[in-house]
Amino acid sequence: MNKILLSTALSAMLATTAQAENIGVSMAVFDDNFLTVLRNGMIDYATAQDGVELQVEDAQNDVGKQLNQIQNFVASGVDAIIVNPVDTDATIAMSLAAADAGIPLVYVNRQPVNIDTLPDNQAFVASDEKESGTLETQAICAQLKSMGKGDGAKALVMMGELSNQAARVRTQDIHDVIATSDCSFIEIVDQQTAMWSRTMGADLMSNWISAGLEFDAVISNNDEMAIGAIQAMKTAGMSMDDIVIGGVDATADALAAMAAGDLDVTVFQNAAGQGQGAVDAALKLARGEAVDNKVFVPFELVTPENLSDYQKKN
Amino acid sequence: MAMQDTTIDPPVMQAQRRLPPEVNILFVLVGIALVFEILGWIFQGQSFLGNIGRLKIMILQVSVIGIIAVGVTQVIISGGIDLSSGSIVGAVAMVSMSFAQSADYARAVYPALTDLPVIVPILAGLCVGAIAGFINGWLIAYTKIPPFIATLGMMVAARGFAKWYTKGQPVSFPTESYVAMGKGMMPVIIFLVVAVVFHITMKYTRYGKFTYAIGANPQAARVSGINVERHLIKLYVVAATLAALAGMVVAARGQTAQAGMGLMYELDAIAMAVIGGTSLAGGRGSIIGTSIGMVIFGVILSGFTFLRLDAYYQEMIKGVIIVAAVVVDTYRQKKRVKKS
Repeated sequence: MNKILLSTALSAMLATTAQAENIGVSMAVFDDNFLTVLRNGMIDYATAQDGVELQVEDAQNDVGKQLNQIQNFVASGVDAIIVNPVDTDATIAMSLAAADAGIPLVYVNRQPVNIDTLPDNQAFVASDEKESGTLETQAICAQLKSMGKGDGAKALVMMGELSNQAARVRTQDIHDVIATSDCSFIEIVDQQTAMWSRTMGADLMSNWISAGLEFDAVISNNDEMAIGAIQAMKTAGMSMDDIVIGGVDATADALAAMAAGDLDVTVFQNAAGQGQGAVDAALKLARGEAVDNKVFVPFELVTPENLSDYQKKN
Repeated sequence: MAMQDTTIDPPVMQAQRRLPPEVNILFVLVGIALVFEILGWIFQGQSFLGNIGRLKIMILQVSVIGIIAVGVTQVIISGGIDLSSGSIVGAVAMVSMSFAQSADYARAVYPALTDLPVIVPILAGLCVGAIAGFINGWLIAYTKIPPFIATLGMMVAARGFAKWYTKGQPVSFPTESYVAMGKGMMPVIIFLVVAVVFHITMKYTRYGKFTYAIGANPQAARVSGINVERHLIKLYVVAATLAALAGMVVAARGQTAQAGMGLMYELDAIAMAVIGGTSLAGGRGSIIGTSIGMVIFGVILSGFTFLRLDAYYQEMIKGVIIVAAVVVDTYRQKKRVKKS
């Protein structure tokens, strides 16, 4: 009796079928809002198609674990592999492992370092990271101007985890936009990391407020930190009307904050769309069809004006 | 771990000394604060400590981990360790928040169970914590596996549970009464209540004396009639329940629960206890010391932002300060032992 139970449980956990097209997926980390939407986008898209099986693994932010997972996929002879890299500098070994076995490989969301030397049966599906910070900062710049602050405004920058490419690129975008003559009236008073986290964002903002910093805008690398900043500013009794706050991701919480009039700008990165795109590319490559090395899913700017279009996405 | 010398001073002898051991670490705290004060005047032209807002945030940003540290301190005093607190924070945040969602939100985890009275999510959270703690304690007391391993297992399992619970989806939009737990200085108040209660318990009750006795010498404790197994279970239940409380406070504060919440909190909590003079060998430590250790963390965090120190240097310096604080404390302890 026990044995039967055990084997049923095991077979339920190892749900793979022989005839289906098997795709192995290695995600950098499971407990991340955005990557969860992306992961579910992949799973939903694959379930909607006949004979496509996804096996999704969590690399728990560990490069070594991710390589092991890819090698396990190769060993078990999957038809294609999708990787959301833990570290974008560690992708060369992954590309090699898949190429040696002749298995197509698709990177999703995070740009691999060997993007320009990917073999024909490998691809990268994502949004162009350079767009996000640029869209965000340009929108903040425009709002500051429309508020009559075009002759001098102070901004605080909240950065994500510093080892992360998105944090570096988005921060660079901010500086690039501010370097243009159009937005050069903005002065960055300080920039610090809050590790992508809401509570750390709130703490950082409280520390800034108590240090007596004055500012007209908060430019955050993601929404969670921006929401934290909003909470801290409200606690300190500051008015949200005079200050422009921007984030990136357009999470459900961020859209709620925007509906409440607190968050002014966010950028929608189509996570589910990226997930779908990755599965599509993987299936095409597995069937021997050609796919561009870079498949870009565009970023979209979200402001209170077009907020309602996004409240049901992500 | 717990079996070193048997010459640990009973509390009575400590009281006879002119200076309690916490004074050492208080010096470290004052020293660090003064360094920031001086650097503040030099580089920022303003006072570091003379700012109510900053003093508040200094404590507020560490009080959640402080709540955990109060429990971890007791476990360490008993000669054990608890690595599972951070994961319990994540697991409890998820479970508790799922019973605290407001009806305004259309995609609640349990659409039928919204707008519940706040006591429901709190009890649910505390129960999850207590169960995790009971498992920790039972494993350590009866299977005799080292606390490091038992709680390491719980650390991995509870994190897995937190992710599984909603398949990684965050849980947000809590009711107002739940949010109240984390609003304003509430986390600090909760920490203070917890710290005072356990300061008294550890100092003046049988529970505390048993804990020190087991940490100093488990064999002697057993021979003198203490039910060591039962007491160990109590200790780990207390530690995990406090971690659960911290998990609910952090979720209420952020108005969201995410499976990754509390990552590495256990190490910060252990560091607070150790900086505060708690000996990893067991038998020595105090809630007051840990509280001072906690404030040191807060001062460092605020001080870095205050000085606008480049983010890349902050962690490196934090690591150095943690080790340096303990070195200073150990050195002063030794000197004092020689003198007496």
